[in-house]
Amino acid sequence: MKAKVSGFGIFYLSLFFVVLYLPVLSVVLYSFNASSSTAQWTGWTLDWYRQLFSDRVIAQAFRVSIQVAVLTALLSAVLGTFTAVISLWVTNRTKKAIQGMMILPLIVPEVALGVSLLFFFNALRLPFGILTLVLSHSLFCVPYVYIMVRLRLQEIDVSIIESALDLGASRRQMVRTIILPLVAPSIVTAALLCLAMSLDDVIISTYMSGPRSTTLPVHIFSMMRVGVTPKVNALCSLILMGTFLIIGFSQLITKKRRFS
Amino acid sequence: MKTWKRNLLAVPILVWIGLLVGIPMVLVVALSFLSRDHLGNIVYQFTLDNYRRVLDPIYLRVFLNSLLLALLTGLITLLVGYPVAYITSNLPPRRRALALGLIMLPFWISSLLRTYGWMILLGNAGLINNVLLALKIIDKPLPMMYKFSTSLVGTAYMLMPFMIVAVFNSVDKLDRSLLEASYDLGASKWKTFFHITVPLTLPGIAGGFTLVFIPALGLYFVSDLLGGGNTVFLGNLIHTMATRGRNRPLAAAFSMGMIALVLMVLSLYMKASKDKTGEGLFQ
Repeated sequence: MKAKVSGFGIFYLSLFFVVLYLPVLSVVLYSFNASSSTAQWTGWTLDWYRQLFSDRVIAQAFRVSIQVAVLTALLSAVLGTFTAVISLWVTNRTKKAIQGMMILPLIVPEVALGVSLLFFFNALRLPFGILTLVLSHSLFCVPYVYIMVRLRLQEIDVSIIESALDLGASRRQMVRTIILPLVAPSIVTAALLCLAMSLDDVIISTYMSGPRSTTLPVHIFSMMRVGVTPKVNALCSLILMGTFLIIGFSQLITKKRRFS
Repeated sequence: MKTWKRNLLAVPILVWIGLLVGIPMVLVVALSFLSRDHLGNIVYQFTLDNYRRVLDPIYLRVFLNSLLLALLTGLITLLVGYPVAYITSNLPPRRRALALGLIMLPFWISSLLRTYGWMILLGNAGLINNVLLALKIIDKPLPMMYKFSTSLVGTAYMLMPFMIVAVFNSVDKLDRSLLEASYDLGASKWKTFFHITVPLTLPGIAGGFTLVFIPALGLYFVSDLLGGGNTVFLGNLIHTMATRGRNRPLAAAFSMGMIALVLMVLSLYMKASKDKTGEGLFQ
């Protein structure tokens, strides 16, 4: 039996959601403000969006970000899924070790990770750009794919796997025909989350960007440091729209809504 | 298949983590003991100077600022987020799904956008000041930006969903019959809450606190945009030292200090939640 939620509970929850979304909504609202200052509302305009499309620096940063995000999502999906699946066969000790390693990139603060990678790639004389960005982004993406695929694998009835093997399927066949189709929705959701995380990363990207490969968030951050301008509002609102498209897409694929 | 052959399957992930976390971290440790010349080039000479400087009162202040920010962020997200998780878990199915969706959605929304939103709300010409001025409640704008508390609000806001999800997972597993038993035995609502609910959801609280505390130490772009650099935090300092400051050994020493703080919190978490591997943090 669950406790009933009181009127005050509903009120508190509603208030919380208002505060949670107020900052987001005000960014979108002021992107349509004709005045360049938030001090006054002088009417609706789309000028700031028009200005965006003629900005070459933003277009270039956007291209870099998309390339990095897609490559990161692909790399992370493959490596994360592979690791989750092989966890079914390795010895228990190896499995524990893998779990521990997967948590590592998530518990070291991003600044420390970024700085350590900066030193490392510098020592290797690796040019900073798409490659360093993808490698570093995979660091916080692979663990999420691994965790989400493993959670799905835990739901799968082990007897299906065993009977497939009993009936003479090779491990490779079994992975291809049974496991991968079952975990596919989780892989897609995780890959889309990777896409969003990579497109959003500021901290690690600051250290990994090369002179001609600044990512969009790094560029936006430098714009924001100057102060509030409606152009930034417009850019952020467009990104928000893109994000919602990604979420809608992932909902469409998984169909069944699942949380946690 | 033989055991060692099966374990060979783990090689790709070992290489990946060794290359991207293992070696770089060893490099940071090594660098933190090296010196540099006046141009910022590394000089291969062992020194403890960097650690001595970490303990310098000026830099110790930075440590305390970060520790305070991270602790208060944990506290605020817990006080605000716990009731949210608790209420959500008690909602009827459809409303509950909606509330959960609204809680998770910010994970997908750009963190820069969410920080920028507070700049628009809190600025001198911002939305809150505009409304208060229009209502004639104040006659000149309230200065709300570029303070320690502004950074705190931004950081807590950014990390709130982590706390709520962690607490929610714990609250949702709570066996409600224990609460009924407590009421039947004559305990008040508050007594039941503090003696039954809180101890049983402690793993969620500890997990949420850890998940919020760690990033709070390093979210330098939030304190940069909202705090305006008036209060220096560890993240800002490491960032400046590693880039414009051209003092990599010192940046390395500070990174070690930051990691030490993280390890402290993790060990506390493992004690409080009895989660030996830290795996429960990400389930």
